[in-house]
Amino acid sequence: MQVLAFLNSVLLLNQLNQVVVIATGFSSCGYVFDSSGSVSQRAESLLPKLEEFVENDESGSPRDNSVNGVGSSLLSGSLSMALCYIQRVFRSGPLHPQPRILCLHGSPDGPGQYVAIMNSIFSAQRSMVPIDSCVIGAQHSAFLQQASYITGGVYLKPQQLDGLFQYLSTVFATDLHSRNFLQLPKPVGVDFRASCFCHKSTIDMGFICSVCLSIFCKHQKKCSTCGSIFGQAQTNDPSVSEGKRETPV
Amino acid sequence: MPQVKIVAKNFMDMVASLPAMNLDRLYQNAFICEAILRSMPPLAKKYVLQLLFIDVPVTSKMMEEWVLGDGLSKHKVAIGRLIQLRVLTETLDRKREATYRLNPTFQLNVQKHIVHGGVLPREPMPSTAGLRLPSLEELDAYAVQQWECFLLHLISSSEAEKATNISSSMMKVFQHGLLSQKDDKEPPRLTEGGFQFLLMDTNAQLWYIIREYIGNSEERGLDSADLISFLLELSFHATGEAYNINTLSDIQRTIIRDLADLGLVKLQQGRKESWFIPTKLATNLSISLSDTSSRKQGFVVVETNFRMYAYSSSKLHCEILRLFSRVEYQLPNLIVGAITKESLYKAFQNGITAEQIISFLQQNAHPRVAERIPSVPENVTDQMRLWESDLNRVESVPAHFFEEFPSKDVFEAACDFARECGGLLWENSKKMWLVVKAESFPHMKEFLRRQKQ
Repeated sequence: MQVLAFLNSVLLLNQLNQVVVIATGFSSCGYVFDSSGSVSQRAESLLPKLEEFVENDESGSPRDNSVNGVGSSLLSGSLSMALCYIQRVFRSGPLHPQPRILCLHGSPDGPGQYVAIMNSIFSAQRSMVPIDSCVIGAQHSAFLQQASYITGGVYLKPQQLDGLFQYLSTVFATDLHSRNFLQLPKPVGVDFRASCFCHKSTIDMGFICSVCLSIFCKHQKKCSTCGSIFGQAQTNDPSVSEGKRETPV
Repeated sequence: MPQVKIVAKNFMDMVASLPAMNLDRLYQNAFICEAILRSMPPLAKKYVLQLLFIDVPVTSKMMEEWVLGDGLSKHKVAIGRLIQLRVLTETLDRKREATYRLNPTFQLNVQKHIVHGGVLPREPMPSTAGLRLPSLEELDAYAVQQWECFLLHLISSSEAEKATNISSSMMKVFQHGLLSQKDDKEPPRLTEGGFQFLLMDTNAQLWYIIREYIGNSEERGLDSADLISFLLELSFHATGEAYNINTLSDIQRTIIRDLADLGLVKLQQGRKESWFIPTKLATNLSISLSDTSSRKQGFVVVETNFRMYAYSSSKLHCEILRLFSRVEYQLPNLIVGAITKESLYKAFQNGITAEQIISFLQQNAHPRVAERIPSVPENVTDQMRLWESDLNRVESVPAHFFEEFPSKDVFEAACDFARECGGLLWENSKKMWLVVKAESFPHMKEFLRRQKQ
């Protein structure tokens, strides 16, 4: 309900404002609301669509995966969808919008999506789209911390979820121009840890391929991404050029 | 000399200058709240949103903490604007600290909007009712045609072929300040303000006319607050949808007839009932409050040899171009003219500045040249500015002329004195002539009398 109020208020602020809501599920993501469609469409129409989406998503996901507690959502998919939508708007007309993405994220990070998410973050950075993130889950999200840090968005983990609207309207409703002279939450510390490509687990230290910068948690004979063959595994020998240790941040 | 300044003054300034009573009454209409909120500077919008669900007064010190140091001036502007619009009310508490709170009516309306979503002022008629709606292009063309017809009427009623239904008394109101007529025999001449009006873009022109219309409403027995709220309400209708005219009150029906003549709405008569279709001009009303970002398709190409090609069949365009250029020939879709020194001098005499002409040419540049930077050749713009400054080279100052000084010493002393008091304009020591400004003449007289003694 508070998010709906936030959507309405964004639409209220300027008649040129547009809102697109993308739902992110366990195995799929989809557009649930697009304010540009028809004028009379109201934000309430989002709710039934959202329910429908959740149903479809549940039926589409394999049951057996749910044993390991709360799964992660397909953040990379919805980020890419958002970026695609933005690109479409950029190319479709003479309008020069100043888009931004807000991730309202509740589930824990899925380290398996590391590469896909980082790629979306960098393409957002290239197209000058800030990614704001509002984490409503229990723990901080390292992905979104990095996303907001790299793209110049705001990362916030509200203390009280009852006042979500106040957080949303105070911080995330601010247009990009006004952000230059307003006090906004500063990043307290960003978790820059990466996931390895081989086992998709978050690591502090690892090996990276000097050719394509792929990250591995253990020494490999051959890079699985670019296929370059590494030299002898001599982690204590600094002269080995191909198996370089990643400096922990 | 009283001068009518035609400036594209913001409509919201006009709203802000309404008496407090009227303004509070306006806020009872949710659409006005919406339009007002949208017209605010970005920071002010944000403050409203931030304060929306806060029911206790907020101290000014607390609000200042929201901004960074270098944004303080913007903060002050935003707060000032909010207070001017009576959206924020300022009170001093016991500790002599200023506290602010939102106007309760305004707050309630915006809260309602945010929680329940925007509602349309009235439901459009079902499309199955057997009415043929004009396409958006047709509607735009209609609006432009109506508007140009109106403008042509405004500047010269003889030129317009199609008569508009606007009563001549209404026309007089609009023409006030734009045209001046010395006596009845002479055709009315455009004033300086009128020229500037023609060079403005459509939105600014529209607002000027609407402002005159509103300003005149009291005389016609209409309440200006009602009129403003209806106009703003109209701007929230969807373009190109038909609305039943029976949903309007009697006053609104008379207003809408006037608006149809301006091209803001298109009236259509069905077999049983009639309906109105808002055009882009109407729905842009509240947009143009804040910025005029909508760009028209340009039509003018200016070449470096001072020739001007205007791809337009509109009579109005031709009339406007004639204001500052010599129109050489006219083809069905093309007007060819030249910007000459004489034509520009004529324009300058009428009070048009070179900057206005240049900005008109730039705003209406043909898409082919609009991509180029600059869209109007630099040598042309520079020459126009030079010609303008040529005219300003001679400055006339009321002055007094002195001659026949008794001796060279007296003359030189007089010169020095005039120089000291800053009144010396010209001297000729050979002939002992001296010209001083009129305002220092009494001092000079006094000085010369003392010299004689």
